[in-house]
Amino acid sequence: MNTESREHLSCLMDGEISRETGRFLVRRLGADEELCATWARYHVVRDCLRHNDGRVSGADLSRRVRLALERESPPAVARKSLPSWLKPLTGAAVAASVALMAIVAVGPGSQTVSEPAAGLAEGTPAETFTSPQSLTPSPISRQASLSGGLSGDNRMNAYLLRHYQATGSTGGKGFVTFVPIVITSSAQASNPEAARDEDVDAQEPVEPAEAAQRR
Amino acid sequence: MSARAAASVLVAGWLALSAGSVPAAGFEPDDEPARWLERMGTAMSQMSYQGTFVYVQGDDVVTMRITHVVDDAGVRERLVSMSGAQREILRDPSGVRWVLGDDHSVLQDQAFSGSFFPQLPIDQQNLAGQSYTLKLGGTGRIAGQSVRNLEVLPNDDYRYGYSLWLEEKSALLLKWQLIDRGGRTLAKLMFTDIRMGSEVDPVELNSSSPLKKFKTVESRLPVGRGLLQIAPHWRPLRLPPGFELTSHRFFGPDDNGLYEHLVYSDGLAAVSVYVESAGGEAARDGDLSRLGTTHAFSKSTGGMLITVIGDVPAATVRFIGDAVVAASP
Repeated sequence: MNTESREHLSCLMDGEISRETGRFLVRRLGADEELCATWARYHVVRDCLRHNDGRVSGADLSRRVRLALERESPPAVARKSLPSWLKPLTGAAVAASVALMAIVAVGPGSQTVSEPAAGLAEGTPAETFTSPQSLTPSPISRQASLSGGLSGDNRMNAYLLRHYQATGSTGGKGFVTFVPIVITSSAQASNPEAARDEDVDAQEPVEPAEAAQRR
Repeated sequence: MSARAAASVLVAGWLALSAGSVPAAGFEPDDEPARWLERMGTAMSQMSYQGTFVYVQGDDVVTMRITHVVDDAGVRERLVSMSGAQREILRDPSGVRWVLGDDHSVLQDQAFSGSFFPQLPIDQQNLAGQSYTLKLGGTGRIAGQSVRNLEVLPNDDYRYGYSLWLEEKSALLLKWQLIDRGGRTLAKLMFTDIRMGSEVDPVELNSSSPLKKFKTVESRLPVGRGLLQIAPHWRPLRLPPGFELTSHRFFGPDDNGLYEHLVYSDGLAAVSVYVESAGGEAARDGDLSRLGTTHAFSKSTGGMLITVIGDVPAATVRFIGDAVVAASP
């Protein structure tokens, strides 16, 4: 299962997925055992973290549910009340129904504009370069103008805010992504010179083979 | 037992049994570095946690506090600086707000969720494997929690590496170090106390600043459209190895000009490329800027302002920015 599927599952749990994508996921959940298992695992993790003690305790939960199931045989009337398309007592279909409930709960508020496409249909992908161009090293001589709030560079501020929002989930860094705009602002305000002209230069990147030769 | 209750038991039973006993066909062993990375992503977004951490960069040492709550109201988060000027980031399903306490102002971007930026179907984990070498390290203790070290080492100089210390059971990130290819630490962050799950106090989600009295400034960036089927109007002709387009959002072109936001990622690092009609904006001539460990590059060309922002080395944003041109019709 690829990262895209995991992200879709995560979005489904968060209520941040389009109805169409959600339906697609439900269909997949009905047939993809691995996807079902991941979905279940995410739920167990989240539920435990939300309501219990911050620890994943799947084994204990599993034991408790098994006991509950042993005590309560599934009543026939319950099965009759399920929609006809829902195949009772098959794990995959039950998971699909959970997914459907989530979609219903999501409602029309999702802001996903389009389905993920198979790629840019009409664009030629940017070339991946094979040999770095000659970049003249140049020192970074100024900070992005962020310390002044309204008096600062609002365009850059907005770019930064949206960049962090758009890329926050990349690499799973979460809140760490946002730290620079809070940290540096504070540092600049308390010590404007400290954050300037540090020892970072825009030096030419080195290809792996070239880097290996340097070592 | 009512039908609804019975269904609930069935659902809960299946979920629990699946988690506990479904064969793990196709799963990576839990001790695989890539699996730890994946678990970290899940924990950072799905867990509720709250704690104080110290951030160190150069001579700057700043204490911050994070409260991240996931519940039926969605994901809500507050990141606040405990030293220096009061700055906060507030995130909830309605959008993101940047509180500038000393300026009595709030900059907020138009409401959008994570799915606002539709992702191209790229296997980011596999992508990251091309650009980084992952190694599991030793164990330790941070903020009273047992942790496991995960080294994410860059394969070239176009990206940074990371040394991550993850709580052993949940994989929550408790210590983070940004390192260059030579192993030099550029910045680090470490929790001094952490609460998880039901121990989190959601009251701390409320800003300590009197926001109603603050001047609210809306980001003037358009929401735009995220139609992935439409090729970018502008794009870099070349990219560092391993970077691929993961998101594309644009507005126009029309009488108001063009706005375009492209996100490229190598699976871990991400770079935004903004292309916007320059209007009355002063010309930029390959300006490089830095905000903490984030670098930005700006240039003006063909009546457009090109801005590249990323948590990557300065040379990388300039490399990409220099290569941005109008796409062929």
